[in-house]
Amino acid sequence: MATEQKLFWNSDNVRDVAESVGISSLNEEAVRALSQEVEYRLGQVITEAMRFMHQSKRTVLSTQDISQALKVLDVEPLYGYESTRPLRFGEASLGPGQPLFYIEDEEVDFEKLINAPLPKVPRDMSFTAHWLAVEGVQPSIPQNPTTAEARSTELIPKGPGANPSLTALAGNDNVTFKPLVKHIVSKELTLFFDKVRKAILDEDPDPDVVLMRHSALESVRSDPGLHQLVPYFIQFIADKVTHSLNNTFVLRQMMELAAAVIANPTLHVDPYVTSLIPGILTCLIGKSLGVEGPDMMDQYALRDFSSSLLSKIATKYAQTTQELRPRLGRTLLKHFLDYDRSLGTHYGAIRGIADLGGTEAVRELIIACLGKFDCVIEKGIKQRGEDDLQVQMLIGCIMKVISTVAESGNVLTNGANGDADNEQVLIDYLGPHIGKRVAALHDHRLNKAIMEVKSREEREGAE
Amino acid sequence: MSYILFSTSADGLNIKVIEYLVKKGYNRTEQMLRNESAHLDKDGKPAHERAEDFGTLKYSKGFRLLSKWIDQNLDIYKAELRRLLWPIYVYSYLELVINGFTIDAQQYLAEFRAQFENVHADELRTFETVTLAPHVLENETTKLYRENKYRLPLNTHVYYNLITYLETNGKFGGTVIVYLLQTYCEIRETARGPIDQYSFEAIINQARGADSNDVDLQEGIQGVFTGVSNKDILNNNEALKLGMMPMEPELEQDVRAELEDEDAKHPPEFGKPSLIEEFDNIKREESVEALPRNEIPLPPSRARDVVMEVQKVKENRDRFKIDGRTGGIGPAVSVCMFTFHNTLDSITCIEFSDDNNLVAVGTEESYIRVWNMHGEALPSVVQANGIEQPPSSSRRLIGHSAPVYSVSFSPSIESPDNADASTPSTAPRLLLSSSSDKTIRLWSLEAWTCLVVYKGHEGPVWNVRWGPFGHYFATCGWDKTVRVWGQDHISYLRMMIGHDSNVNQIAWHPNGAYIFSASDEADKTVRMWSFVTGHCVRVFTGHQGFISALECAPNGKILASADGEGHIILWDLAKGTMIKRCRGHGKGGIWSLSFSVESTVLTSAGADGTVRIWDIEVPADPHKNADGEVIGTGGQADATRINGTTVASQPSAAAGVVGAVKKKGKDTMISPDQISAFPTKKSPVYKVKFTRMNLVLAGGCYLP
Repeated sequence: MATEQKLFWNSDNVRDVAESVGISSLNEEAVRALSQEVEYRLGQVITEAMRFMHQSKRTVLSTQDISQALKVLDVEPLYGYESTRPLRFGEASLGPGQPLFYIEDEEVDFEKLINAPLPKVPRDMSFTAHWLAVEGVQPSIPQNPTTAEARSTELIPKGPGANPSLTALAGNDNVTFKPLVKHIVSKELTLFFDKVRKAILDEDPDPDVVLMRHSALESVRSDPGLHQLVPYFIQFIADKVTHSLNNTFVLRQMMELAAAVIANPTLHVDPYVTSLIPGILTCLIGKSLGVEGPDMMDQYALRDFSSSLLSKIATKYAQTTQELRPRLGRTLLKHFLDYDRSLGTHYGAIRGIADLGGTEAVRELIIACLGKFDCVIEKGIKQRGEDDLQVQMLIGCIMKVISTVAESGNVLTNGANGDADNEQVLIDYLGPHIGKRVAALHDHRLNKAIMEVKSREEREGAE
Repeated sequence: MSYILFSTSADGLNIKVIEYLVKKGYNRTEQMLRNESAHLDKDGKPAHERAEDFGTLKYSKGFRLLSKWIDQNLDIYKAELRRLLWPIYVYSYLELVINGFTIDAQQYLAEFRAQFENVHADELRTFETVTLAPHVLENETTKLYRENKYRLPLNTHVYYNLITYLETNGKFGGTVIVYLLQTYCEIRETARGPIDQYSFEAIINQARGADSNDVDLQEGIQGVFTGVSNKDILNNNEALKLGMMPMEPELEQDVRAELEDEDAKHPPEFGKPSLIEEFDNIKREESVEALPRNEIPLPPSRARDVVMEVQKVKENRDRFKIDGRTGGIGPAVSVCMFTFHNTLDSITCIEFSDDNNLVAVGTEESYIRVWNMHGEALPSVVQANGIEQPPSSSRRLIGHSAPVYSVSFSPSIESPDNADASTPSTAPRLLLSSSSDKTIRLWSLEAWTCLVVYKGHEGPVWNVRWGPFGHYFATCGWDKTVRVWGQDHISYLRMMIGHDSNVNQIAWHPNGAYIFSASDEADKTVRMWSFVTGHCVRVFTGHQGFISALECAPNGKILASADGEGHIILWDLAKGTMIKRCRGHGKGGIWSLSFSVESTVLTSAGADGTVRIWDIEVPADPHKNADGEVIGTGGQADATRINGTTVASQPSAAAGVVGAVKKKGKDTMISPDQISAFPTKKSPVYKVKFTRMNLVLAGGCYLP
């Protein structure tokens, strides 16, 4: 009887109940008919009870639903089950494979019950109001679920015909998931991390402290087993860079730390490179780093250092992060070509391009654009005067970058042409400030290289 | 062999003939005769190998024969022919049960049920429990199938193909099918082309906005699934008067005078129309489309009505306007959510008053509780025994003796800014509640007592709603009826009968002349009733789950209904057709729907703990293709279960785990007309409501 096994209320149950009311022998047919009948009635009650559940806007069937269903079906309800708590069933065994379930009745000692302190009054029903959405956007306030909780990407229509701007509107462009599990770091590592943090931020010129600082960085650079701390270091760097833009010391230390993290051969930094880049870029092309004043040079040293760090990262992780180098190049070029940026930014951008792209980039990107770039220098001079450190630094940087072309180029050095007409050409091509200085160098190889760039450009222009 | 016909005993004659042939040595002829006579029965007539000989297996044999044939048929006919399978399945099963073959019936049910699980889950669940002949005669669903013929329009070609196939394959089960079709079905051949996803018909349907996979209106049992049990409303095209009822002339004069006063006192800001202009814009006038005023008598207007009408005009002018799709991304709607705490899941309904001052909840503990939403004290006109009660911002209304399932505030509007003691109050004064104790109670919100108990329903009353102008209200309940009451009559004025199952939900047409009702279980139809005549004027079919919410648009042209499967269907009232289906909500029930003032945006909320905003004007799926992208909702279907899924969705858990959860969950497609979805924190949302200023109010219970 395979199908009868499926019944909730099988023939054994029917027989048990029959015996309990004093009917000792029931024939097979009656038992079967009865069990089927009971099954049908059960279904009927459940269907009816589901209605009550739906009407109460619940998704869990309660004992009250069942008693209401029995009521509308004109059956005497079962008493004693009214409860908001789910019933607790106990299990007893009649024999092997014959479990018997019963409702556990708590035994209550009167004495105890009377003397027990009154139970706490349940909290009163109340309501709170909050904005679920303002102008179509869900504000991220504690009352609303976080993006991770809501899995909000699934709430937006997808597929053909879906409106892509809706996703953007809802702020789901780059959904980042916060890990809900706590990253467990051992006590020793936490201690180490705190020590490193403290040491490298200690500005005291005391030789002991300086030594501490260096050894901390050295430790990060070479110690194995720090991989668990990588995200924390990255986070620390990002944090400090954003919050101490006017403190070149801190920025410098952060760059040192970044360099140390990268230099450590045992660390796997690849997945974190993208989070590391913004901080370094800030230190390279930030509008103003540190305070203006005598220690301006710190600022430029920082920019130089970040620039080389950046080029290091770009080379080291070019394999794992394919897009990195072109993306960095684009960012830097954008800043270089934006003539409204500060002189410091331009300095950083030029340094960055040169370090990142080498002579080829200098030739293609910087020299070719210097003619137009002259206005920046002009403006700088007008605003700050010819002798201003920032202007000088920028010009010096450009000169330095340009001269690399001459060094590397396999330019033939025979035929030194007349310098006189060259000077005018150089000024026309590179702009008055740079042109004059380049001409003053009288470097044939450099001139030749620049001319080559110019003529190539003209050829390409003609084509 | 013609002489055989003259003989009385064919058998005896055969033997004689064979003997004769043997004697004569005609061996070949003798062989032939033996062969031929082997297929004859006693009376010498050709004997049929009949499917009936297989006993109870004949039904499954027949069903398999039919489905195999359908699968082998031309593609263009397949979609149409598949519809045959359900009635055959049902009637075969019922036949088996009636004839007492319970076990065979259960086997039959289990063997083929998978393909019907999607659409007919409710019926299958019922059939499962129906195992004895008396049950078939007693159960409501089976009774409907037994006592009515299943109508099935078939294309002419398909019809003839089917009949000839069944006849030629009679002995493999065809006769059983023919028998079932003849006994229980009413196959009608129609001249239209075959229904198919890419057919001409389907394309036209699609152009009209109808879904090609929706059940044909003419199909099915009258009353089950496709509705129409009253023969007289087979015509789903009866003319409707969907216009607004004109305003009472005296009231209009008063309102106009009042507005002119107001305009003079506060001239409109630059760029804004004056109140009079606004009034002329929205004025309800006598027209062919509108119902004449005398058809539905309303009590004469009073000072309060004038103030309310003036406020309405003001709000209409000053509201946040949602004019269709702005910039292609849909309007930016703001939602204010009210979350109820410490409810223990005992709240059954939440209702906001129209003046945005009060919120009422009904509970399973049989009482109603009303709060002031701003936390101000609720004043009472009566003092109990002369003792001043401490002011409180909430009050309990106690009187029902069973769970309260719905409450409804009488119409109200925010009081004007310059209101003084002489201005009549525009706050709601009455509250209606319906309960499982078969009664509807009318409560005063000024004295906080019960005023009237309306009795009449013969079972739990599921829903009660005030009409748009007050005075009348409609109720529906377990007894399958919809009733309309007048506030001043102790008994009901109209009783609408036609639903085959519980009536879950009701809604009013904004002009107060029509009432909508929706049903569950075997019925699943939405019906539109005329208040004046009490007739059913429209039947809308297409839902696949119990209908959990119903709402008519303020422009009076669109009806929205939502079901437990998480679908919202928009209906065109005048044409009586489906406009589109909005998918996105999880399973469990959409508890509330509400239209914006302009009827361009719909908001919905439900058990999945989200409030969603839908664009009415966008077609459901502009680039409809066969396999839309589906995404899993996992356990999201039920807000109270969110716990389980957040664990799985942690990024720390392996991606495979997330994938597994997705696969397990019911796939849900979100249709592109959804503008936005706002999840709540573990709070199923019971009520959403657009205010007259186009702000959305939402109410839900925090159920951790």
